[in-house]
Amino acid sequence: MRVDAVTLPNVLAAQEGFHSPGIEEFEWPCIGPNFGTVFGYDVCLNKVGVFMLLAMLTIIILFYVAFRDAQIVPRGLQNAMEVGVEFVRNSIVLEVIGPKGLPYMPYLLSLFFFVFVGNLMGVIPPFLFPVNSRIAIPLFLALLSWVVFNFAGIKEQGLPGYLRSNLFPPGVPWPLYVLITPIEFVSTFLVRPFTLAVRLLANMIAGHLVLVVFFLGAAYLVQNPLTVVFGIGSFLAGVVFVVFELLVAVLQAYIFTILNAVYLAGALEPEH
Amino acid sequence: MARNPDGDHEGREWGRGSNVAWSIIGTLFAGMIAWGGIGWLIDRATGSNLFLPFGILLGVGGALYVIVKRYGS
Repeated sequence: MRVDAVTLPNVLAAQEGFHSPGIEEFEWPCIGPNFGTVFGYDVCLNKVGVFMLLAMLTIIILFYVAFRDAQIVPRGLQNAMEVGVEFVRNSIVLEVIGPKGLPYMPYLLSLFFFVFVGNLMGVIPPFLFPVNSRIAIPLFLALLSWVVFNFAGIKEQGLPGYLRSNLFPPGVPWPLYVLITPIEFVSTFLVRPFTLAVRLLANMIAGHLVLVVFFLGAAYLVQNPLTVVFGIGSFLAGVVFVVFELLVAVLQAYIFTILNAVYLAGALEPEH
Repeated sequence: MARNPDGDHEGREWGRGSNVAWSIIGTLFAGMIAWGGIGWLIDRATGSNLFLPFGILLGVGGALYVIVKRYGS
C-alpha cells in the first residue's frame, strides 16, 4: 500500500468491520427467569435492573456503615457521608425551600444519592453503564416527584388554593386567564415530569455514547499501523471524557434534586 | 421574598440560567400542546382542519406572554 496516496477515509473504508454505536448500546437481554410479557415487553431482570438494585444496596450499606456508630466528631466514612448529607441539607433544602422543606429532606437526600450512584456507574468499572440512561428510571423518579410535589402543595394550601396558585398566576388581567390557565395546567401538571426526566436521561445517554464512540474508535483504529496515532488520540479523548462524565454525574444528580426542591418550594409557598 | 415555581431565589444563581431555559422551553411546549390540543378537538368535532394550526399559534402566543410576565424585567 502506497502511503502517500492513502488518506484516512480511504483506509477506513478499506477496513471492514467497524460498526458505529447506536441505540443498541442501551439494550440488554434478560438475566434469569422471564415472567411473561406486558404490552410486548419482557418482564424480567436485565443488567440495568441489577445495577439499579446494586445502586440501592450500595447506598443502604454506605449509610448504615457510616452512621451505625455515629461519633460527635466524625471520622472516615462518616465524615465523607456527612459532607453529602450537609450538602443536600444546606445547599438544596434550606437554600431553595427553607426550613419548611426539612420534612422532605429524607426524600431529596435519597433521590440525590440514588441518581448520583446510578450516574457514577457509567464510568466505574466493572459497570460502565449509567443506570439513568434508560427512560424507565428517570421517568419513574420524575413521576414520583410529581406525586410528592402535588401532595405537598395540596397538604399545605388545600386543593382549591393549590390549584388557584398554579393555574391563576397573579398580576394577569382577568380575561387573559382564559388563554393562560390551560397553558399553566399543561406546563405544571403534564410537561414538568417529562422535562425533568428528559434532562437527566438525555445527559446520561449522550455521555455514554460519547465514551462508547471514543473507546470503540480507539480499539478499532489501533489495529491498523496507519491509524495507530488516531487510535491513541481517540483513547486520550476518551479518558478526558471519563473525567468529564464524573463531573456530569455529580452535576446531573444535583440538578435533578434541586429541580425537585424548586417544585416543592413552589408547592409549599405560592407566588405572591 | 419573591420566588416563582421555577426557582428564582437570591443566593442560588448557580444553575439558574439553565433552569430558566428549560422552563421556557417547557412553557412553549405546554402552550402548543394545550391550545393545539383544544384546536385538534374542535377539528375532530367539526370536521375542519383549521383550528389545530390556529390553536398552536395561539398557544405559542400565550406561552410567550407567560414567559415575558414571569421572566421579563
